[in-house]
Amino acid sequence: MDSKRLALSKSILEMKFMKRTKDKVEKQQFQEEGEEYFGKHTLHMKEASGKFFMEPSYVFCEELIEGRLSFQGMNPTIEKLMEAKENAKRGQEEVKQEVDVSDEQMAVQWKKMRTKFDVMQRKKTQYKTSRKSQHSKTDCKEEPMEKRPKFLKPVD
Amino acid sequence: MEVSVGDVVMPGDSLKDIKSTKKEGKNERENVILGPGLRREGDKVYVCKAGILKRRDPAVYYVDSYQKRYIPSRGENVVGIVTQKSGDIYKVDVGASEQATLSYLAFEGATKKNRPDLQVGDVIYAKMLVASKDMEPELVCVDSQGKENELGVLSSDGMVFTCSLSLVRKLLNPECPLFRILGRNQAYELAAGMNGRIWIKARSVQETIAAANAILAAEYTVASEMQKLCARIEKTLLLVT
Repeated sequence: MDSKRLALSKSILEMKFMKRTKDKVEKQQFQEEGEEYFGKHTLHMKEASGKFFMEPSYVFCEELIEGRLSFQGMNPTIEKLMEAKENAKRGQEEVKQEVDVSDEQMAVQWKKMRTKFDVMQRKKTQYKTSRKSQHSKTDCKEEPMEKRPKFLKPVD
Repeated sequence: MEVSVGDVVMPGDSLKDIKSTKKEGKNERENVILGPGLRREGDKVYVCKAGILKRRDPAVYYVDSYQKRYIPSRGENVVGIVTQKSGDIYKVDVGASEQATLSYLAFEGATKKNRPDLQVGDVIYAKMLVASKDMEPELVCVDSQGKENELGVLSSDGMVFTCSLSLVRKLLNPECPLFRILGRNQAYELAAGMNGRIWIKARSVQETIAAANAILAAEYTVASEMQKLCARIEKTLLLVT
């Protein structure tokens, strides 16, 4: 504990009117002690177990299929279930394929666009500065003020 | 000894260079999933089964081992045999060290008044609900919506046979073509449990036995040879009938 921090002396805390404060102080002390004692342990455990997850089943590890199968109409209900599962799987794949432009293509395209934008921006600024310099050459001090869009009150 | 992916590993070996995948976005947590046959001791990962160490993206490590005794784990589908009816539970033999319990309420449409019609000796296809080290495993025959789907009682005119756990895993691998090839010329249905029990039913007894033989022979057959295997089985069937 901090030695610098002011602590109320025991005899004061024993006084009758200090009862509530005494409770508070005791609670705080208890918590601090607990943190000090367990803090290291819990932190260590968190670090160690955070990275690893246990999975005792092979079904997940090898991505096994459902073990209930039927072929050529031996059990129509099972076949229906199999078909539904197959369709769901295919649906997912289709959704993945349906995208016209893949993320990678988009990234490449976007990069190109960005460079274009940058070039345009640069040209614009160059143009502006060149115009300004021209103005100064012609000695026209009164530069036309940039128009600021004013707020237009809507007509009822 | 330190081992890496693809090695033959023995219990006590420790894993070398575990590559984890970094999740992009929020917090860069590195997650590694340890499958069966691996356990963590502090920062190190030890092997506790003999087999081949395998890895699947993203960062799933497990030991591929040959095993015949089933160890229940949560969420797996198994083929079991009802051995006892006692009060409000059934005892089911799933080939584990202990019998599993199955509540009579864990069936589609079952209520306290309306019990499922299940006799001792019936074969069921059920899902492991509770499978912990120190407790009895518990089965259910319904999903979370209360629907039975593919679970439930298997009809008594099929056949159950046992095989190794690795064979079941081999057959249920999405890449394994055996069931599809067999289903091209043969009408059959089957329920393969992760506990190494397979229930199979075809049109006739001969066909059922033939299909079962094909499945058992698949243990030592590579995927490319399975076409031939099925053709051979079909030929013998034609000779018999």
